[in-house]
Amino acid sequence: MPNPAQSGQGADVEIAAALYERSGAAAYDVSAEQFAAIVDEILRKYLFQNSVQNSAQNSAVNSSHVSAEQKAAFCAELRLEELALARACAAGNERAWQDFINRYRRKLHSMALHITRDGAHAAELADSLFADLYGVNARDGERRSKLVFYTGRGSLEGWLRTVMAQEFINRYRKQKRTVSLEEQTEEGVQFAAAVPAPACSSDKLLESATDEALAELSSEDRFTLASYYLDGRTLAEIARTLGLHESSVSRRLERLATGLRKRILAGLRMQGMSHAQATEALATDVRDIQLNLRSRLTQDSGAKPFPGRKVPAQDAGDGSND
Amino acid sequence: MTEVPKIVCDRLRAALPEQAHPGADLLAAFVEQALSATERDGVLQHLALCGDCREVVALSLPAADRVPPQTAPQTADVDGVRTTVSRAGAPAPHKLSFAWPNLRWAALAAGVVVAAAVLLLHPGKLNQATLPSVNPQVATTAPSASGSQIASSSVPSSAPPLSITSSQTDQLAVMAKTDKAQPKSELRLSKKLKAGRVVTPSPQTESGMLLADNMMDSRQTPKRSATPSASAGAFHYDARSSRAATETVGVYGAAAPVTTEPAENALMARNNTAPKDSPAIEKAKPALQEKEVDEQEQKIPAAAVPTPSLQARNVMSAARLASTAKESLAPHVTWAIKAGVLQRSLDSGRSWQEALHADHPLLCYASHDVDVWTGGQAGTLFHSADNGVTWVQVQPSIKARQLGSDITHIELRNIELRNNELYGNLRDDARPAEILLSTSNNEIWSSADDGKTWEKK
Repeated sequence: MPNPAQSGQGADVEIAAALYERSGAAAYDVSAEQFAAIVDEILRKYLFQNSVQNSAQNSAVNSSHVSAEQKAAFCAELRLEELALARACAAGNERAWQDFINRYRRKLHSMALHITRDGAHAAELADSLFADLYGVNARDGERRSKLVFYTGRGSLEGWLRTVMAQEFINRYRKQKRTVSLEEQTEEGVQFAAAVPAPACSSDKLLESATDEALAELSSEDRFTLASYYLDGRTLAEIARTLGLHESSVSRRLERLATGLRKRILAGLRMQGMSHAQATEALATDVRDIQLNLRSRLTQDSGAKPFPGRKVPAQDAGDGSND
Repeated sequence: MTEVPKIVCDRLRAALPEQAHPGADLLAAFVEQALSATERDGVLQHLALCGDCREVVALSLPAADRVPPQTAPQTADVDGVRTTVSRAGAPAPHKLSFAWPNLRWAALAAGVVVAAAVLLLHPGKLNQATLPSVNPQVATTAPSASGSQIASSSVPSSAPPLSITSSQTDQLAVMAKTDKAQPKSELRLSKKLKAGRVVTPSPQTESGMLLADNMMDSRQTPKRSATPSASAGAFHYDARSSRAATETVGVYGAAAPVTTEPAENALMARNNTAPKDSPAIEKAKPALQEKEVDEQEQKIPAAAVPTPSLQARNVMSAARLASTAKESLAPHVTWAIKAGVLQRSLDSGRSWQEALHADHPLLCYASHDVDVWTGGQAGTLFHSADNGVTWVQVQPSIKARQLGSDITHIELRNIELRNNELYGNLRDDARPAEILLSTSNNEIWSSADDGKTWEKK
């Protein structure tokens, strides 16, 4: 009678061989053992990790045993061919790089243009990412390509787009930090008002009631709320992200807005407020009337009473005002 | 959109993510809806709390799917980055939805929808004007009908001529447009009706058509039952000519006495054909251009005469047109390959339908506008020029050597844009002029004529 562990290993070997054949990694001089190691690394990162998390929640699940079917199902979803290409590129295979350049070089520029909406910045961003993908920066004398981090969960193109978006945000932040105040003033940037003082005690009740109401929502609902009300995303963008129709997002937002209001009011009443008090507390947010008079006065002092006329310099000692 | 209380925004903003940021591979898979439910929920939990990752996800949306922001940049944010990043330096938002190609299709779709709506809402309006004058005649002539012919009612000469009102003129215009898209056989029947001769249907066939008609157009049923001649078991023959309303003929009769060539008519109904020597009904009203119509009729092959329920056919044609147009003009068709099967979603990924199941598992696809290419193992390649409604298998071959390796990647290029390589996207109004296939044995095959001839690069 065959040992279950041995039969499991046999199935693993079969799966690995099938995956290797499907990936076409042999064309990039990636051996079957190397590819099996890559797949094993991905399995450990995602499948086994999830299994451990599940077992923490549900003791019935044995984390040490992930069935061959589970592995096969997980691997079937992987983009094996793109994974082989990416890893071969990371290993420095010339042919893989040639394929990568043929397929993605132009797309990278196109993606960068869509992200930056500016030709010059797009070229810079795409070239920068390309250098990172190639691994120009050597660490400990070893070239490290970013393509090592691609795991085949989504398409390579989608992964490149995400990496580029991350790079764009990092780059934007870096540049934002180095922009001088004069430049910002010239651009007409209004400096953000100071963060208001911590909420007063009456807000504590409101905050706790709101937190409780938000905690009852699903993560998708909270994501929808944050995307729409905080980030200013359009319904279409949110719908695309969640794989829903715009009207569904719209209805969900309506439902969430009304439901949240009701839940917060109910929470406030649970904490001892009358209905009128709760409604008033929710309607009149004290922060609306908190004004930073100092900053207002400072900003107002720069305004000229007659913008069309030049005011002569006040410096009497100058004598050069003509 | 209903506003939420400010405290909600404040608390949403104040929440901080507890977990580490998910990697680019997870975020990319999230955007592509390729995560399991558990993983997706985990990523969503993080995204709900992390504005930076939400920004990355928004920027990672595929170019065709990304919608330009509509609102002005907001400056009041936690770090001033999130809301301004995607808007910074944006020269002009894309106006894809208002581009001419989209408007052109939208106009066509709107026209079809209006035509279908008019036909569905007022299908029998034209004939209703003739019914009062025709039905009494039918009531008197129908009982005497026997043998292999129906003595059709003749419109009395004293019958008032039809006056076409403006609304009817509009309907006629719409119907004329619809007729252009209908099979020619229906027009031919209309011409036959103008000449006053028509093929008499068998009662079984006609009642079947009536049933089908009623099922399709329930709004019409009360009107028919209100007509004097309508009764249980009765059939009606409601023909309509879209070209000349004054020559419209309506024939109503009881089913019982009609015993006209059941076998022949059944065959006619089944094959949508008419017998060459089908009996003629007496003319209801002599058509003005009878000679001309007869001449035209001689050119019409007998097999082209359709089944008689024109009204049902009109509705069917309009509905078919509308559905076809709707399907082919679907603005956002999302494609995906799951388990070697190409799947299509018409509602932004909410529901999926199997678009193509080939003999060999499919591995990749590429689409632009309504052109879709999909390839898979063993050189399987399919092309659809109508958003996946119909598929044609393409067998790439070079000098009798067929492509046998797996197709792992498909790219559609427009050679017109070679001068502008930097932004070499396909234009919306351009058909892909070059198809590139990457194969598992690292060959690149290209075709510049929709897959007729191929060359290896």
